[in-house]
Amino acid sequence: MSDAPDLSALQRGDADAWDAAFRWLWPVVFAVAQTRLGPFLPADVEDVAIESLEELVEAAQTVKRAEELKPLVASIAHNRAVSRLREHFAQKRGGGQTESLEARQEQEGAPELAGGDSPLADVGRGELATLLTELQAELKPEQRALLADFFLHGLSYEQLAAKHGLAIGSVGVYLKRGLEALRRVGERHPERLKELEAFLR
Amino acid sequence: MNPMNDDRFLDLAMKAVAQQATAEEQAELDALLASRPELQTELEQLRSAARLAKEALPLVSATEATAGELPGYARGRLQTKVRETYGAAQTAEKEESKEAFGSWRWLLGLATATAVLALIVLPSVLPKPRVSVQVAMLDLAGTTRGADTNEVALLRQAWQDAPFESFSQAAKLEDWEKDWPQEAKGTVAKIIYDRSAGEVRVVGRHRGQPFQKTFPLENSLSETLRLAADYVKGIPAK
Repeated sequence: MSDAPDLSALQRGDADAWDAAFRWLWPVVFAVAQTRLGPFLPADVEDVAIESLEELVEAAQTVKRAEELKPLVASIAHNRAVSRLREHFAQKRGGGQTESLEARQEQEGAPELAGGDSPLADVGRGELATLLTELQAELKPEQRALLADFFLHGLSYEQLAAKHGLAIGSVGVYLKRGLEALRRVGERHPERLKELEAFLR
Repeated sequence: MNPMNDDRFLDLAMKAVAQQATAEEQAELDALLASRPELQTELEQLRSAARLAKEALPLVSATEATAGELPGYARGRLQTKVRETYGAAQTAEKEESKEAFGSWRWLLGLATATAVLALIVLPSVLPKPRVSVQVAMLDLAGTTRGADTNEVALLRQAWQDAPFESFSQAAKLEDWEKDWPQEAKGTVAKIIYDRSAGEVRVVGRHRGQPFQKTFPLENSLSETLRLAADYVKGIPAK
């Protein structure tokens, strides 16, 4: 990662190094905030992205390698976006009602987006950053694309086969391999990933 | 279960997890689960992993994003945070450095005295070199508002003898920034006040080498201009 900032300069508080780092990290924080908040609170996206960079300024003091910065700031942005969503939905439902954020999101038409009931919602920023780094390493880009097309974009088996150049009979196998790779990463974080507790039996 | 059934279960389970199963496929899956209850565990595992995929994959993609530009107004706020976080540590570091050099203080004193003597004597003997300064303001909203008048006055006051330009188009400012006087032998500095970005930028050439320093607008324009002026004063003229 040749364009990564000079970590020692950042940890000395060098203004120019931070300027470069902010520009380098901006697309990441903005993309995360956009992913989580875009459908519900689009006006908050930029604000959460900037707050995330502010939080990173302090968090960077304990970072060991510059390559850790992007996953770390993505985790910070994710957690801040989730908090912002929780506040938003808590205000909307008012006191005395206990329905989940996910239920509320379903009512607002986007049940698959992350919220308070997401398996990642209460993962600490350091652990989430590690999880993201491991997912990048464990899942090949083509596996990620296949899983995203199926589970996020709703492509059918036929469409997946055509798009990814696979035999239709092997689409399920490729999907399963992708999920298994994902599961291996999840199993390294069992104490935090409540959705994966079932795998530990 | 034979391999054929394994493959069929996998396809049915995947589709069910992704909510793509037809009514017939869901019924077929239910029948399989009824005859082989142990498959329920596998289905749940797939469901959990798929849920993690839905949550984590967009984050992994976002971590690799490269498009988009930091808004100009955010820079000042972020640099303030940097100073708040690291400013104290930097000061402590400087104090440590001072202590470390304590034993060399007498030598430094001698050097300082020599430098002071040079500063007093030399200017009276040699013509004083100066950094050639040019000043510009970029206001994308145009130059008709009352607030601009005060800002222009502040800019002119900060560098009284410097030529001043006002631009309402970024492209024209860019042309101005690239236009360096050919005959200038010493250091040339251009001071640009970018209203929309909320910053004062100093760009220049010293011995053919470019230099640049940006001062985010934090408290007031006059304060920022003072910082920029101090910086320019510190640039060697030759």
